[in-house]
Amino acid sequence: MPHRRAGLIACGAVGGAFAFSLYALSQMMFLEAEQRAGHVLTLYTWITSETFTLNLSILIDPLSVFMFLIVTGVGFLIHVYSLSYMEGDPEFPRFFAYLNLFIFSMLVLIAAADFFFLIVGWALVGLASYLLIGFWREKTSAVLAARKAFVMNVIGDVGMVIAAFVIFSHFGTLNYLDVFAAAKANLRPNDDVALLITLLLLVGAFAKSAQLPLHTWLPDAMEGPTPVSALIHAATMVTAGVYLVARCHVLYELAPYTMYFIAGVGVITAVFAGSMALVQYDIKRVIAYSTMSQLGYMFLAVGIGVFSAGMFHLMTHAFFKALLFLSAGSVIHALNGEQDLRRMGGLRKSMPLTHLTFLIGSLALAGFPLTSGFYSKEAIILSSYHGEMGNIFFWAIAVLTAGMTAFYIFRVYFYTFNGTLRSPEAHPHEGPLALTAPLVALAGLALLAGGLGHWVDEFLAPVFGAAPVHPEDELLETIAVTAGVVGIAFAGILYMTGRDRLEFVKQALAPIYDLLYNKYYVDEIYDFLIVRPTKAIGAFLEEKAERQGIDFAVDEVGAQIHGVSRGIGLWQSGKVRTYALNMVAGLVVILLFVVFL
Amino acid sequence: MGPNFVLIISATIFCIGALGFMIRKNPLIMFMCVELMLNSVNFLLIGYSDFLNSMDGQIFALMIMAVAAAEVVVGLAIILTIFRTRHDLNVDHINVLKG
Repeated sequence: MPHRRAGLIACGAVGGAFAFSLYALSQMMFLEAEQRAGHVLTLYTWITSETFTLNLSILIDPLSVFMFLIVTGVGFLIHVYSLSYMEGDPEFPRFFAYLNLFIFSMLVLIAAADFFFLIVGWALVGLASYLLIGFWREKTSAVLAARKAFVMNVIGDVGMVIAAFVIFSHFGTLNYLDVFAAAKANLRPNDDVALLITLLLLVGAFAKSAQLPLHTWLPDAMEGPTPVSALIHAATMVTAGVYLVARCHVLYELAPYTMYFIAGVGVITAVFAGSMALVQYDIKRVIAYSTMSQLGYMFLAVGIGVFSAGMFHLMTHAFFKALLFLSAGSVIHALNGEQDLRRMGGLRKSMPLTHLTFLIGSLALAGFPLTSGFYSKEAIILSSYHGEMGNIFFWAIAVLTAGMTAFYIFRVYFYTFNGTLRSPEAHPHEGPLALTAPLVALAGLALLAGGLGHWVDEFLAPVFGAAPVHPEDELLETIAVTAGVVGIAFAGILYMTGRDRLEFVKQALAPIYDLLYNKYYVDEIYDFLIVRPTKAIGAFLEEKAERQGIDFAVDEVGAQIHGVSRGIGLWQSGKVRTYALNMVAGLVVILLFVVFL
Repeated sequence: MGPNFVLIISATIFCIGALGFMIRKNPLIMFMCVELMLNSVNFLLIGYSDFLNSMDGQIFALMIMAVAAAEVVVGLAIILTIFRTRHDLNVDHINVLKG
């Protein structure tokens, strides 16, 4: 298929999906708020058994429409961007086929009206992610990263499947609405069943959303093409875990212990990933760690029960993180595949538009006032203290992370766009319209989507119950904003003016620097604790059980039978006369037997 | 001439045939010995047919002769082929089926 047509078909498909999502939104706006939730559209009855019916049905409610809009909207912009970014790749049609497969899988995941199709979509996005990370299959590191992502995701899938079994054995159905109604009616808070189900679902959510301790695949996933990182590993797939918790909020509200656990893991991941992002030199890896950190914020939000704030941050994050990734992709494109910050610099003059969009994305990520990130992050940080389940620790760590976030993203910004270009052979230039138009669109969204906060709260209220009350606390707000601004200023001091100060800080904090640069040695710890013992057990079993046990037994049986057969075979002398003699002798014996007995 | 006489003659011829089959190495002679054994049985059948006043035995003898003739055709063909390929008819040397 000609490249151009493949790209247009793929973009058209996603654009059409976006148009239908808008149509669904408009239909929903005509309804009264109370009537918006819980529309199940049954397309087809797939399996009918005595006590079990499985329908191919989709659930249309404000939450799923909200997610449709984000996935297809951001997905469409990234498809358009890919048209230009992947131009000249010999396997252009394959790339778009995978991208479309991903969008389809993600929509299945979101539209599912029961846990079964949720898992189907869940596994399919894992597959699409695997295919796209390993898209450049001649690169060993890409293939290894794809495998790692797949294995980590499958760990989560197993948790999800077991959760579905528990749900079915307890409630006798997999439909969301039936399960939630039954759970509300029958379960007490912190019921064992509720805790078990929520924790098992959480395994899947944490694996997909790269939360501790299942996070190691996300930074490696940056081996894929940049649009993939923007679409899957920033804007859509990794938010599936947050979506899952929000979708099952009825169950989670019945398990406050799990909620605390989610909030704790979320906030720890936020600071953990944020600190690793401080020192990485690969532009995409910094943004990847930032994604983990922001996902931590979202989990913090849903963990403390402010679901619509979490979903709002999911939306703004999808905009500004996709923007950052695509701007980074534009930089990488201009520098012919260079991803190392130390070889960039001074791109402000040669790439003014990308500079502007990256700056907007960075400001939004840093939570600079009046950008979209400011509103969504502020809502989470305030609720982490003032919310029903909030406390001072969540708040303090969240603010600390906000400072780190501002620091590391402006570190990247200064490294990339300030000073002079540190790879003299490159001639950076702005990309064509298909590359820059999505940047501009996303920049607009990243800048302005903050105003949608109240609308999101109200729109999602039918799903989550009453819209949350937003606490007003000017002191805390000021502190959080100050943390961001201090982070930016600190990055400016270190990276804009002179290298000696930077070297001094690096020297002073060398042990911490090494720890962060090596990502807390988590990969090495996993290697030591899980991979190597598994390999050792494998080698041991291969030697003792396989070679000396099973193989030996089988070989020995064969050898013995062979020996016995050889002995019997000797009777076959091949001499006709001997056979005749034997026959006659046998005849005589039988005769004697008959005659005398 | 009682039935004992027929029995003794028949058994003698059968034993001569069996012994010859076991002792001789030439397949043609061995074949003749096989025929001898078959014919001893034929002799018995005909003798008893006379003794019992029934034609059944004689008809059986005819059928055995027919079967023997067919068998000889196949056997001689095999022997001929073996001789053509090996130029040697000693049955002790034909032991390809040795275990």
